[in-house]
Amino acid sequence: MAGNPDPTTDFFTLPARSREIRQVSTSSQTEAPHPILVVEDEVLLRLDLADQLRRSGFHVIEADSADEAVALLEHMHITTIVTDLRMPGSIDGRELVIWTRRRFPNVKIIVVSAHAEPFGQAAPDAILSKPVRFERLLQTLRQISPPAEPT
Amino acid sequence: MVDRVEKNSVRTVLIVEHEVLVRMPIAQYLRECGYRVIEAVDVNEALTVLTDSPLVIDVVFTATDFAGGPDGFALTQWIRTHRPEVRAVMAGTVKRSAKIAGDLCEDGPMLQKPYHASDVENWIRRLMAARDADST
Repeated sequence: MAGNPDPTTDFFTLPARSREIRQVSTSSQTEAPHPILVVEDEVLLRLDLADQLRRSGFHVIEADSADEAVALLEHMHITTIVTDLRMPGSIDGRELVIWTRRRFPNVKIIVVSAHAEPFGQAAPDAILSKPVRFERLLQTLRQISPPAEPT
Repeated sequence: MVDRVEKNSVRTVLIVEHEVLVRMPIAQYLRECGYRVIEAVDVNEALTVLTDSPLVIDVVFTATDFAGGPDGFALTQWIRTHRPEVRAVMAGTVKRSAKIAGDLCEDGPMLQKPYHASDVENWIRRLMAARDADST
């Protein structure tokens, strides 16, 4: 079952009331209609980034490896990935980017890494250097993400 | 770094589960129940959160078995010794995970379930069935 094309069969549709429960951002952020996938193997970095994104109004899903990210991408409707590059597992972040470009070409990809890697034609939409300022990441998300659907 | 959370404002659950297709739906459900949810993939990550993060963890919700490392029993024993104020619950099956999540939700900040815990169990089973079908 492909994760991205049909949200009614592979993405749990939340009841309308549950959307009110999400933290309300104090910024002018418009919540992304589908989750952002954060891929980072260092747990404290991952939880800090995910927490800041949620406080800014985004729906966030977490993966600790490229392998977990693949499992989620195959079965969830995800439109944006924020990923580290060097992570343990059967594939690393660079291979995740290349795989995603081939498998789900409409997914937006932001790489956040202290290392430079060649991507060839499978380049991500943005590359930010670690340590990344959160405001810079937000600005990049606004620039590359599709506009939110009206609610 | 993450701000320290007032203990009674939002309650925090640390989920420790190596299977992302189980961890994600449980975490999602508990967030919809009003909890702040931290996710760890194994006991070592959980211990890093418990010892190195400024977050106040109220509940640790852990699987029992983790390949190649300390298991949920070792984690709960560590918690009883070093963090006795933290409530630790263990889940060995998807069904039990969903039930525990449902019980936590009833005790949670929202005082009302956004949807039934059986929906969480069904979601997990559907995700895992799809993954297993893809791999054959």
